Amino acid sequence: MKNMKKFAALFMVTAMVLVGITGCGSNAEESAPAAEGAAPAEGESAAGEDAAPAAEESAPAAGDYEIVVVPKDSSNPWFVRMDTGVKEYAAETGMNVYQKGTDEIDATKQAQLVQDLIAQGVDAICVVPVDPESLEPVLKQAMDAGIVVIAHEGASLENVNYDIEAFSNSGYGAFIMDNLAEAMGEEGVYTTMVADVTNASHNEWADAGVAWQKEHYPNMTLLEEEPRVESHDNGDTAYNVAKELFKKYPDLKGIMGTSSFDAPGVARAIDELGLVDKAYTSGTGMPGDNAALLKSGTVKSLTLWDPAIAGKAMISLAVKVLDGEEIGAPVDLGVEGYEAMTFREGSSTVLEGEGWIVIDADNVDSFGF
Amino acid sequence: MQLKINKLLKQNETYIFLIILALSFLIQIRSGQFYTSNNIVDIMSAMIVPGLFAIGEFLVILSGGIDVSFPALASLTAYATTKMFLDMGYEGSVFLPLIVAVLIGVVLGAINGFFVGYLNLPAMIVTLGTSSVFKGFMQGTLESKQLAVIPTGMKDFGTVAVYTATNAQSGLSSRLPIAFLLFVAVILIAFFVLKYTMFGRGIYAIGGNESAAYNAGFRVKWTKFLLYVFAGIVASIAGIIRVCMMQQCHPTNMLGMEMNIIAGVVLGGTAIVGGRGTMTGCILGTLLIVLVENSMILIGVPVVWKNVFVGLLIVVGTIVSAYQSSHSGIGKGHHKKTEEA
Repeated sequence: MKNMKKFAALFMVTAMVLVGITGCGSNAEESAPAAEGAAPAEGESAAGEDAAPAAEESAPAAGDYEIVVVPKDSSNPWFVRMDTGVKEYAAETGMNVYQKGTDEIDATKQAQLVQDLIAQGVDAICVVPVDPESLEPVLKQAMDAGIVVIAHEGASLENVNYDIEAFSNSGYGAFIMDNLAEAMGEEGVYTTMVADVTNASHNEWADAGVAWQKEHYPNMTLLEEEPRVESHDNGDTAYNVAKELFKKYPDLKGIMGTSSFDAPGVARAIDELGLVDKAYTSGTGMPGDNAALLKSGTVKSLTLWDPAIAGKAMISLAVKVLDGEEIGAPVDLGVEGYEAMTFREGSSTVLEGEGWIVIDADNVDSFGF
Repeated sequence: MQLKINKLLKQNETYIFLIILALSFLIQIRSGQFYTSNNIVDIMSAMIVPGLFAIGEFLVILSGGIDVSFPALASLTAYATTKMFLDMGYEGSVFLPLIVAVLIGVVLGAINGFFVGYLNLPAMIVTLGTSSVFKGFMQGTLESKQLAVIPTGMKDFGTVAVYTATNAQSGLSSRLPIAFLLFVAVILIAFFVLKYTMFGRGIYAIGGNESAAYNAGFRVKWTKFLLYVFAGIVASIAGIIRVCMMQQCHPTNMLGMEMNIIAGVVLGGTAIVGGRGTMTGCILGTLLIVLVENSMILIGVPVVWKNVFVGLLIVVGTIVSAYQSSHSGIGKGHHKKTEEA
């Protein structure tokens, strides 16, 4: 028995050391060949979109900066897509830019990762915060260490050079509402779904969507009893909540989704309940994951901004700041939808673009992700 | 007759059943939708995955252990299996993926079983550790990403209905997927094993008093080992079913389910220290949790109060269960319950 335990302890230590070694090895590989690895992909992806000219402009600085993009996590397809953009940027400019994420969406882990990057002495950190408030002190450390900090979807952050928003929250909320209204024939009862009622941006979109509806779609009404429901960023929860809603409120005709799990989950419920073409949903969603839903007509359209382009925009802005360029509106980051960014009213750090796109059955296959 | 009623009154299951009944009336009054065919089917299909998890957890808790690794285990198995068959371009039925999943479940469960059973390490710490390892392996080595499409055989298994209920009034329909039959089969197997095999009786004995069980001739280590393997199998099946029912594989979607599952099992009258509990109680406790989780909107609880309501119900349910067992007399009750299964 004793020997068995000793053996096990030894075994575990060995295993840990091995994991440590291989783990480090793969990390190193990850950052270095990322640039070359993405190079062949560039040709296929529409010649790197409009980013190419911008990349050439900043080419003289190539290799000078180490810029790291920190997403909420690394397995979410959203951030996998962002990584594609980051790798493209690296391939175009030859700069040492790469994405590094935690294994799950966890504010504490993200803060630790940022701290590690500070210790590593990178030039700029581009971060998509999990929980803006709790990341604040860590970002302050980064700023104090002379690191340029660019955030995305973190408008409330104070310790950043700039925060990039693909669009104004009110603009995007209205955009989702337009899509939902079109599907619903501009009439009927609807409600809104967010990941959590504490999630800042989702709730701003939903609020803006409701405000837009009141202004422009007089024949639509918000479901008074349940004006906002939660999906917890979980497709299964969205599905179950939608089923409950349609059961309890037979008049309900539409659900405005915000998280990328909302509309697809709701669509599953619509399909199962036999409500296709009677009830509708629209909201954020990734094309690749929802191609079948869009083509079958269960969902008419989804809205999105391209995380790959947002990733490039962050890095592009970081490079501008590192180059010592003056940032004054309108800011042209050289990527589509981010060519004339303006400061949010009353803010000197939050930049807003017009980077929204609509995905429907016709164009769903054209995004390549 | 009198004796039978007295016996019923002493059973935890009776009280859980009454709570479920009361809750269903509440939902019915508030929404008018509980006792409709499609709602019942919805609940049955929502029970499949948590129910399977609960069976595995129930057996482990019964033996005096605890397993917090099953969501990670199920995620890893489901992801690895789905990815493998997707890469193969597999178009056959669900049987092969299920068999592969079960095999992976055996291996992963055996890891837990080895540490807990043979090395006699604390189950909580071991499974916390393996939970991290499973998750890390899935996300690091397998580089898990959301898989938007799954093999057709698996999709059929999760969506083709054995029974479709349509509510004549609202016109809404709900389907009970074939996967439900597998859930029923697992319940029956677990019930049979627990009641009629040496292995099953051993679980009760070990949970009651490990050294006594050893002295009585039970193969304690082997039984524990086998138990975690069994729990691994059941969790893997649940993982695959979840993927089939969602028609896509989201690798982190199941993580975090362990707390509600354990709560459900304990609610159902299973002693958290082991040795006492029944299959019926386990299923009823889980049903109560699933019901509460999926009926907040039907009841009309404001979204911000949802967690409070769920939490309160767990606490109230546990109080009822604890009160009842303290009054039936642990010492005597213990022996009796052990015989009942």
